Parts: sequence; C-alpha cells; structure tokens
Amino acid sequence: MSAELKHKQATAPAVQVRGLNVVYATNQGDLPAVRQVDLDIEARKITGIIGESGSGKSTLVMAMMNAVGKPGQIVSGSVEVLGVGDMLSIDRERQRKARGKELGLVFQAAQNSLNPLRRIGHQVLDLGRSHDVKDLRDLLRKAKDLLTRLGMDADRVLASYQHELSGGMRQRVGIMFALILDAKIVILDEATTALDMLSQASVLEIVRELHKERGLTTILVTHDMGVVADMADRVVVMYGGEIVEEGPSEFVLSHPAHPYTQGLVRAIPRISGDIDRAVPLQGAPADLKTYLEPGCPFYQRCPVAMPKCQESRPTSLAVSQDRKVACFKVTDHD
Amino acid sequence: MIEVEHLQKVYSTKGSLLNRSQVRAVRDVSFRIPEGGAISFIGESGCGKTTVGRILAGLEAPSAGIVRLDGVNIHQVAAGERRNLLRKIQLIHQDPYQALNPAYSIEQALSAPLRIMAKQKGDTARTWIRDRMEEVLTMVGLDPASVLYKYPHMLSGGQRQRIVIARALTVEPTVLVADEAVSMIDVSLRLGVLRLLRDLREKLNISLLFITHDVAAARYLGKGGRISVIYKGLIVEQGPTEGVISRPQHPYTQALLSAVPVLKGLERMGADRFILAKEMNAQSAAETGCLFADRCPFAQERCFSEAPTLIDGEYQYACHFPEVRQVAAVAME
Repeated sequence: MSAELKHKQATAPAVQVRGLNVVYATNQGDLPAVRQVDLDIEARKITGIIGESGSGKSTLVMAMMNAVGKPGQIVSGSVEVLGVGDMLSIDRERQRKARGKELGLVFQAAQNSLNPLRRIGHQVLDLGRSHDVKDLRDLLRKAKDLLTRLGMDADRVLASYQHELSGGMRQRVGIMFALILDAKIVILDEATTALDMLSQASVLEIVRELHKERGLTTILVTHDMGVVADMADRVVVMYGGEIVEEGPSEFVLSHPAHPYTQGLVRAIPRISGDIDRAVPLQGAPADLKTYLEPGCPFYQRCPVAMPKCQESRPTSLAVSQDRKVACFKVTDHD
Repeated sequence: MIEVEHLQKVYSTKGSLLNRSQVRAVRDVSFRIPEGGAISFIGESGCGKTTVGRILAGLEAPSAGIVRLDGVNIHQVAAGERRNLLRKIQLIHQDPYQALNPAYSIEQALSAPLRIMAKQKGDTARTWIRDRMEEVLTMVGLDPASVLYKYPHMLSGGQRQRIVIARALTVEPTVLVADEAVSMIDVSLRLGVLRLLRDLREKLNISLLFITHDVAAARYLGKGGRISVIYKGLIVEQGPTEGVISRPQHPYTQALLSAVPVLKGLERMGADRFILAKEMNAQSAAETGCLFADRCPFAQERCFSEAPTLIDGEYQYACHFPEVRQVAAVAME
C-alpha cells in the first residue's frame, strides 16, 4: 500500500496541463491556436512534441511558461509545474523566477536569442543578476564546467560574441543558459532544426547525456519525426492546435493509430528497408480555416474520414493504459 | 549529359593586402550525370557542395576545371551562346519563400521566361504561353485554374516549391540543380516534393544534381543514381546510392550515416554507429595528409602525412584504411 503510494509520488508529472486554450487575436476574430489541451509531462523522461508549422506546438510550450507573446492570449486552463504551482495563476515575480530556475528553455534559433552586443560571459552575469544569484563567481565557474561538459573551450566561448561561434556552438551555449540555474525541466524548441546532420547528432547526444546525468525532465519540440523517434520516451502528436495522439514513442512509431500519425510515419524517407515504402501525405497543412471548422482538424486530408468527422471534433480518449488518440475511427470501436 | 572535370573554386577573403587569405571551397570535383540520371552531393555545411551547384548553374565561374553540357564546354563559348546553354541548367533554391517575387502573381512569374521563349521561337500566339503554363503546373501537381491568379503569400511552402520547380521547367531544362530543395518545407509535404523531382527525372529524362545534408532524402531521390560524399571541397567517397549507404568505406561517410536519427520501433541502430563530436575547423590549414584526419576517430600516423587519393573505378573512395562499418540503421521487420 505505502509502496504504491510512494511509487505514485515518484511518478507525479513534472508538468500537468489541464484544459488549456490559447487564442490569437486576428482581424478575422480570435483564432484558437491551442484548443482544450490536457497533457501530463512525466518527470525524468524525454517527451517529444511533434507537429508541423502552425500545429500549435510552440504556442503550447510557451503557454507552459506563461510566456505567450501578443497577439496570443491564454484564455483558460492551468499549468501545474512540480514545485512551482500553477504557472498561470501565481504572481508575476514568482513566474519570472521560475523561468530559468525551474523551467529552462532552449530557443529554436539560438543565434537570435543571444545578445549580439555582449560577450557570452557578460550575459551569464546578466542572467545571474536578474535571478538574484549571490555568488556570481560561482555562477561563472558553473558556466565553465557546463561549457567544458558540452565539449567546448570554455574560456574562449565566455570571451566570445555570438557571431564568433558556429551554429552548433551557439546551440550548445543556449543549452548552457537553460541549465546554468539548475533547471530541472528543460524545453528545447526546435533546438536542432537549423543545424546540419552532424551538428544535430552531436547536440542531441549531449542532450541525451545531460538528461541522464542531471535527472532532467526534457521536452523536445520538433517537426522532425526522426529526432523524436531517436530521443523521446514518449511522443505527443499535435495537429491544428490539438493533441491527436500520444503514447510511448516506440509503439506510436511501430503502430500509429491516428490517420495523421500514420501518414507522417509513412512519409519519412528512411535509410533502411525498401525506400519505395515511403508515401507522401496528401493535402495541405492546417491553416487559419482549419482552426475554425467545427469538425476534426485533419478531416480535409484524412483518407478514412467519415461524415461524422466533419460535424464534430473527436476528443482525446485513452485506448490503452498509456496511449491516447483523438479519432472517431479508433475510439468508437472500443 | 553533363560532365564536370577537376572543378576548383578558390575565394580570397577581404582584408589588407598582407592579411589576405584564400579559401579553397572546391578543391577537386569530377563527376558526370547521364540523361535522366541523378547524383546526390552530401556533406555538412561549409563543405563546398553549394558552390558546386552554383558553378554548374552558371552563377559562379570556376577557378579551374571544365563543365561540359552535351559535349560543349560552357565556359569556352561566346556570352550569347552561353546564356542559351545555361538555360538548359536550372537551379532550385533552398528557400521557396525568397525565390518568388511577392509582388508578382504566379501567372506573371511563370509567363516572364515564356514570353522570351515565344519571341525566340517566333511563336507569337498568346495561347502558347497559356498552354505551356498550364502544362508545367499540371506537371508539378497543381491545379492551374486555382493557382495562376494567386500571389506567393497565399500558398504553402510545398506549393511554393512546386511553383519554383514549374518555373524552372518552363524553359525545358535538361539538368536540374536542387540545392537543399526540401529542407524548408513542412515534413508532411517534403516527401511529396521529393517524389515530384523523382518523377520529373523519370518522365522528362531530366538529369538531377541534388545537394543535401539529408542522407535519407538523397536515398529517396537518388534511387538508381549515385551519391558523392564531399568534404572540404574534395570528394571522399562516390558510388551507387544503395552501395554507399549499406557499405560505406570512408569514415566521413560513416559519420554522416551515423548522424541520421534512428526510428525506434521501426529500426535498430547500426552496430558500429559512432557520433562525431569534433566540429569542422575550416581554418586548420593542414594541407598535408588527409583533410579529415583531425576529426577521424580511426586516423593513424600515415593519415596526417600523406593525402589519400580517390581510387579509380565504379566505386571510389579516398582513405588509407578503408573498412566497411555497419553504421546505418537496419529495418526491424
């Protein structure tokens, strides 16, 4: 009994999102970018959030930090972060402290997130000051250790401006910034997208190692199924602002249930097996109109759509213990 | 048929007279693409693959070497003649968002090259231009009636790239140079564009030079073609697509193949997979020895003193200690 309770506590989700709705104000009215999302991010696991541009994946993680920029607006919902509370209702100062200290973010293009006018070392100190770090020398020492751990010449990097570093190095500096205040939850938003294959592989390898060493909860946001399949324990598939499927990545890849996931997996060109098994996905990605349709966001492109799919939206239902799918075709049979 | 022999390109950097240094972007590249054939250049950023494409498309002049299109050296003919020759070679850029003029409708973008062609052919009938536009749009899988009046911002990335390909096709090219043509497109649409390029190759007998860092895309597009692996402007391995992927000899090729993410649940990791930690150092001017030696996990003394040469034959590689390693992922079923 008590062992069971202990087990439950140990596996309490690091981030718990409930009923999250985010809209973007446009001149055509409010556009729901994230709709009614419920999501548990398991602690100490790597969760991959996959979706195309406009699927709402970046908006979702920005909402997790309560950092959605205008014209976006969080309409309703809650985001419980372990050890912090509801990011959407705690006071602003506490939120600001949590970003960096509990939640670390590595941006899509680290080249645009570093200050071009200040050396990396100075930016480390800026970060320390804004988070009331008492011992700034210690912070610099930590930065050095981390940079060395990331396989770089720490002294050189700290004395550099961002333009003096290569894309792969800047991305690693971004990771250093996300980890330097000992954040336990790290979000990587398309962190390897702009890199070529070799730098991507080495950055991912480092993420994997640090994740293990520091017992992190890692959230990988990407459009690349390959990256998710290689790295993540769990995958969350987003389409048109909704989660259409989630589950352990190996099973989702080998037995995708939602027609969109099936299409995505089939459309990956692979270096193994028969290359002609790759089939392109039909239709165009979700756009403004898709968000306003009453039916399933994937209806237009779905090869197995039924009349019902045009009229109402399927909700995300559990199809097995750790797997959820939002599709009438899948959930209605059960 | 396009033949390239011993292509070289040297850039000199800006700076004071004393401080000027030279960058050898392309050191020695030779290849040929038969009609309807495909060759994929793979390598990381900064390895010179884009420069090869730009030289081929006539945007840069080579420092040395020969580019022959159907037996004619394109750099040794009169300017007017060259322009006609270069029309046969069309370049498809990486970024479909920047390749189209936002102020031009698709009809305007496509009809501009066609009007010049109509004049040259003496074919002044307006209907010819119209027919040709509809023909190329249908060829790239778009409905002419629904896109011709549109502007680029009204189209998705995949549709835009199809327009760029359609525009390249208007002038009836025999060679397409696709430089990272799918890397900016949404994943679900990427394979569609790759499929289109492959179909064009087969249907119109167009030769294709595909420049990419994505080995899987190269494999899909280059089916039945060849792969050239390029490092610091030098071809290090070259051979039939499937052969290079399943039996890579050169450690650099192996590093590239290892870097492809493994699809857990569908694939097993290659037994000899290794991740290259060291980044390319463009400045390291060690001109003696193998250019890859400073990053190669298998380098031995000889690699630093003596440069390996590309062995001749159907399957070529430049390595002192070639060894097949099982680095590519293996399908599970």
